[in-house]
Amino acid sequence: MAVASIAHGSAHGDGADQLYVETRELRLQGFLLFLVSDCVLFSSFIFAYLYLRNSGQGWPPPGIKRLDVAFAAWNSVLLFGSGATMHYALENWKHGNFMKYMWMLIFTIILGAGFLGGQAYEYTHLIVAEHVSWWGSGIFGASFFTLTGMHGFHVFVGVCYLTVLLLQSAAGVYTGQKYFGITAGTLYWHFVDVIWVVLFSIFYLI
Amino acid sequence: MSIESAQMTHAGGIAGHIHPEPQGFVRRYVFSIDHKIIGIQYIITAFVFFMLSGLLAETIRTQLLNANGGFVSPETYNEVYSVHGSAMVWLVVIPLLTGGFGNLIFPLQIGARDVAFPWLNMLSFWIFPVAGLMLFSSFLMGAPTAGWTEYPPVSLQGSAGTSMWAAAIFLVGVSSTLTGINFVVTLVKMRAPGMTFTRMPLFCWGQFATAPLLMIATTALAAALAALFMERVFGVPFYDPTKGGSPVLWQHMFWFYSHPAVYIMILPAFGIISEVLPTFARKPIFGYKLIAFSSMAIALAGFMVWAHHMFTSGLAPYLQLPFMILTFAIGIPTGIKIFSWTATLWGGKIHLTSAMLFAIGFIALFTCGGITGIFLAAVPYDLDVHGTYFVVAHFHYVLVGGSLMGVFAGMYYWFPKMSGRLLNETLGKIHFWLFFIGFNGTFLPMHWLGIEGMPRWVATYDPQFEFWNRFASVSSYVMGIGILVFFVNVLWSIRAGKKSGPNPWNGRTLEWMIPSPPHYYNFKNIPTVYGLPYDFSHPLPYTGLEEELTDAPPALAAGAH
Repeated sequence: MAVASIAHGSAHGDGADQLYVETRELRLQGFLLFLVSDCVLFSSFIFAYLYLRNSGQGWPPPGIKRLDVAFAAWNSVLLFGSGATMHYALENWKHGNFMKYMWMLIFTIILGAGFLGGQAYEYTHLIVAEHVSWWGSGIFGASFFTLTGMHGFHVFVGVCYLTVLLLQSAAGVYTGQKYFGITAGTLYWHFVDVIWVVLFSIFYLI
Repeated sequence: MSIESAQMTHAGGIAGHIHPEPQGFVRRYVFSIDHKIIGIQYIITAFVFFMLSGLLAETIRTQLLNANGGFVSPETYNEVYSVHGSAMVWLVVIPLLTGGFGNLIFPLQIGARDVAFPWLNMLSFWIFPVAGLMLFSSFLMGAPTAGWTEYPPVSLQGSAGTSMWAAAIFLVGVSSTLTGINFVVTLVKMRAPGMTFTRMPLFCWGQFATAPLLMIATTALAAALAALFMERVFGVPFYDPTKGGSPVLWQHMFWFYSHPAVYIMILPAFGIISEVLPTFARKPIFGYKLIAFSSMAIALAGFMVWAHHMFTSGLAPYLQLPFMILTFAIGIPTGIKIFSWTATLWGGKIHLTSAMLFAIGFIALFTCGGITGIFLAAVPYDLDVHGTYFVVAHFHYVLVGGSLMGVFAGMYYWFPKMSGRLLNETLGKIHFWLFFIGFNGTFLPMHWLGIEGMPRWVATYDPQFEFWNRFASVSSYVMGIGILVFFVNVLWSIRAGKKSGPNPWNGRTLEWMIPSPPHYYNFKNIPTVYGLPYDFSHPLPYTGLEEELTDAPPALAAGAH
């Protein structure tokens, strides 16, 4: 018994640390479940889109041009690149390379903001040059702007969150083993990436 | 030794962590983070909405006293049944069974100090009354008129209140999703040492099967509601066929949520029944694992049968058949439960308390509702009675005869744990018999009204149906009086009921091992569990509970980290 408690103590430090470790497990699981339910939200809209798309009038519907794959592909590279930099940010944190972590986080924020800029350009082009709108272009506009807009909103939230994370890290909020905020940010960012892989495939490729 | 070291590892963690007791009325009873208080808040709020929706129900029955109606205008009648259905599902039954009894009881039963995220729990609760007020306030701007299912295109053309309805149900959904996440994490991570999954009380299994449904299915509904809201408010076409949308899309998305939702409304009630029956039959529950796992099977299969609500919506015949067969298949795990409950009663020493009466009434009425469910799953029969009163009879047998009877059983059973006082048994039995007789008088005739072809959702009807409609209406008043007796009982017993002591029913689950009402920290020491709670005549399978009923302070000082 004594051995068990000593081993335990050396692994997690005192009671306050252990409380943090146990709470972190709860938060991690809760956060993953939140991502699952968020995933269901996207899946439902994706189902709606595919259902409407296959309802019989051809795709894209008459009078609407196909989406520009090349531009969206370059824009996607920004988002996927930010997934990589976020991964290295967390890895550097775990290995104690604080400055590298900070730089990787900054790159991630820049790339994420760049993706949002690209999406804003694409929206403007569609609305102004091709007269496609959210409410005025039938189910094409409805499904495209709703789904990519939802995703864009998730990216926007992510960029804000990562910016807060950056400021908190600079202020020394996260130390040693206490970095759940960074883990959560990374998970969320990868989640947003994966959703984009699906959206890119079903809107631009097929 | 392994158990002792398990306790050691908990000593500094969550199990050993007691927050300082909140001080002041607001922090204790209004914005409380204590799962027991939040559970009671849910129960009180839901019963207020229950009274309002019950008044709407009596309005419906009063309108149908005469074939020509005349009590309210047809437009108002549409609003009344739409809000009645929506409120009963989202503001009464689901919050009572998950947020209410779920919060109140299962953390006690697994030996936890609270749920995993107490602040999130408080947020979940406070979204709920706001959403409820939004739903009822839709009457001010013209309430929704397309029934609780709000099928487009009618819901697209409905008055402004329909958008309010969509927003309100969306908010209730957010609350449910957060509750679901909270419950899953609590059940997976915060069970007392020694309480393996297969030693959990069956009420916990009911919640464990329900919580993922809350978390996953509700989000699908959120998407459907968001699309309806966007279409109504911003004109974004999803469901309008004149703009390329599809009304059937709504039906798919709605039922992908709402079929699991019927299991959200029944699985926790199954849990309550599985606690009440062994306690008052003084006999181990029959088929513990079968009851537990069949709940999970029902939860899983619930996601694969949604289109059986859509047999008349132009579903392809090759899709109808698998949905029909899968729906029949859900009868198997449900039948296993009914069998296990009756086998639990078999040869038991049955105490006919009010809680037990409601539990036995539940078995009878739920079985009737389940059997008509099998009828309705059969495509040819469904094509015949779809949209008739047969469907109304079916879902009231499972929702009122099932879920609500379960709620009442739970109220009589756990009221002492909430308040420290027993509900009056005489009034309880009067409540049961008025409710049981009134219920059957109201809804049994609807089966043959439906078979003879009386449609749902109509404010006037063919005079040949008048006799049984009057019979149903008068019976519904009897049921209403029964519910008033219940409210009188609760209000009277809170002040003057008999003191219950910690364990009035000789229950064996963990919530009965601590005082009534429990301390805010639940347990002075987190107990260790060695077996199932249902082995009557064996010693209790817990250690570490010696100090719970004494005046000793909790082992860890409040606020100790």
